[in-house]
Amino acid sequence: MMRRVLFLWLAAVMGAIVFIIPPAEGLGNVVKIAFFHIPLAWVSVLGFLLSAYWGIQYLRTGEMYYDLKSSTAAKLGLFFCIFATLSGMVFAKLTWGAYWNWDPRQITIFILLLIYGSYITLRSAIPNIITRARTSAVYGLFAFFTVPFLMFIIPRFYFSLHPEPIINRLGRLDMDSIMAYGLLLTLVTSTALFRQILCYLLKKEYRKYPANMADRIGKDGMKL
Amino acid sequence: MPVNILSLANAVWILFKKDLLCEFRTGYAIGTLLMFALLILSSISMTFSGISLSAELTANLLWMIIFFCSMAGLGRAFLEEQETGTLFTLSIYFRPQAIVLGKMLYNIALLIGLTCLIVPLFMIFLHVDFQLWRELFAVLLLGDIGIGAVSTLMAAMLGGAQGKHSLFTVLTLPIILPQFLSAIHATMTILSGNVPTIQEIAYMLGYDSIMILAGYMLYSFICCE
Repeated sequence: MMRRVLFLWLAAVMGAIVFIIPPAEGLGNVVKIAFFHIPLAWVSVLGFLLSAYWGIQYLRTGEMYYDLKSSTAAKLGLFFCIFATLSGMVFAKLTWGAYWNWDPRQITIFILLLIYGSYITLRSAIPNIITRARTSAVYGLFAFFTVPFLMFIIPRFYFSLHPEPIINRLGRLDMDSIMAYGLLLTLVTSTALFRQILCYLLKKEYRKYPANMADRIGKDGMKL
Repeated sequence: MPVNILSLANAVWILFKKDLLCEFRTGYAIGTLLMFALLILSSISMTFSGISLSAELTANLLWMIIFFCSMAGLGRAFLEEQETGTLFTLSIYFRPQAIVLGKMLYNIALLIGLTCLIVPLFMIFLHVDFQLWRELFAVLLLGDIGIGAVSTLMAAMLGGAQGKHSLFTVLTLPIILPQFLSAIHATMTILSGNVPTIQEIAYMLGYDSIMILAGYMLYSFICCE
């Protein structure tokens, strides 16, 4: 039921973006890529934040379920980050003439992709379940500590071709109200989509583990 | 059974001295770092012989050399301790925070020593002239602290992993890239004859503080169960 509602909602929002929201001054219809790019970037940072939060919960309590949640959120965040990068590249080609030119924003999103790619590599390199959970929780936290530097400080510090952030230096919203509402709608939609995919993945993964995972892990942390 | 409870500063200093002493006895890390630095510098100098380098290229080369040397030499911070079993003994006698800060201090000192050797060689081989020495020292120090701190923490984390050394580089580089990029940018500014802005220095200082604080808080989760 929820899935059908979400599907219809998604279709309605995409229709609204294409048909209802007017083209912008100067950039025209190309600016509508922003309605995909911004929510994808927002959701990926949300995914990384959740991964760090559940990592802290794992370190605090030792419950394996938090490790599962943390890794799933990080992987999903990376997945959305890849799409945010791709949509950004398409926008870059259409407005600035090149897919990639190592603009500060492009550098920082590339670093973010590297960081979470390394997270996945780290997880696959440790066979012991408990050590893996602990190490990836700690690495996920380190990774998240670099996110403010990458996403919020560096791009505002150096000159970039990337459009000014929505809440710009003067603290004002510099958009038409219909576009601002449209963007808010897409942000809510993408968050709902993220939540739906996350719950689906968690259910799918958790089925591999019994109700009490501690029963299946030996004292040395290897699967029984 | 430790009779006196040492203060954090004393514990860190003792661990730092212990690591330096062990290093002077075996000379592994220092030797690796030095030889690596010399090799890279001489190869670059031979390749670029006679060609004058722009400020951007020079700054990039300097930090690339420091980075590759640290990846080659700093990954073993905890490996020997784990192999010989002395890490367990250390965790009996010292708090986890003291261990990680002591190791960080040791790695940072190694890196600073290496930088002090690289910079003159850099000036000789590549005909570079630094004018703003105070600013250069500040940038080098902040960059080295960042690289040293993060390298120590990643080395600590990789106890149980397969393929440790390549994984060490894969994990460390993305985390230090923000610091790395601003160090390169600040060095480029210095080479162009300008003083780096206070925001850049504050950024590097902020990054170092956060990484050291993160290591201080999280090391007990890495080492102890």
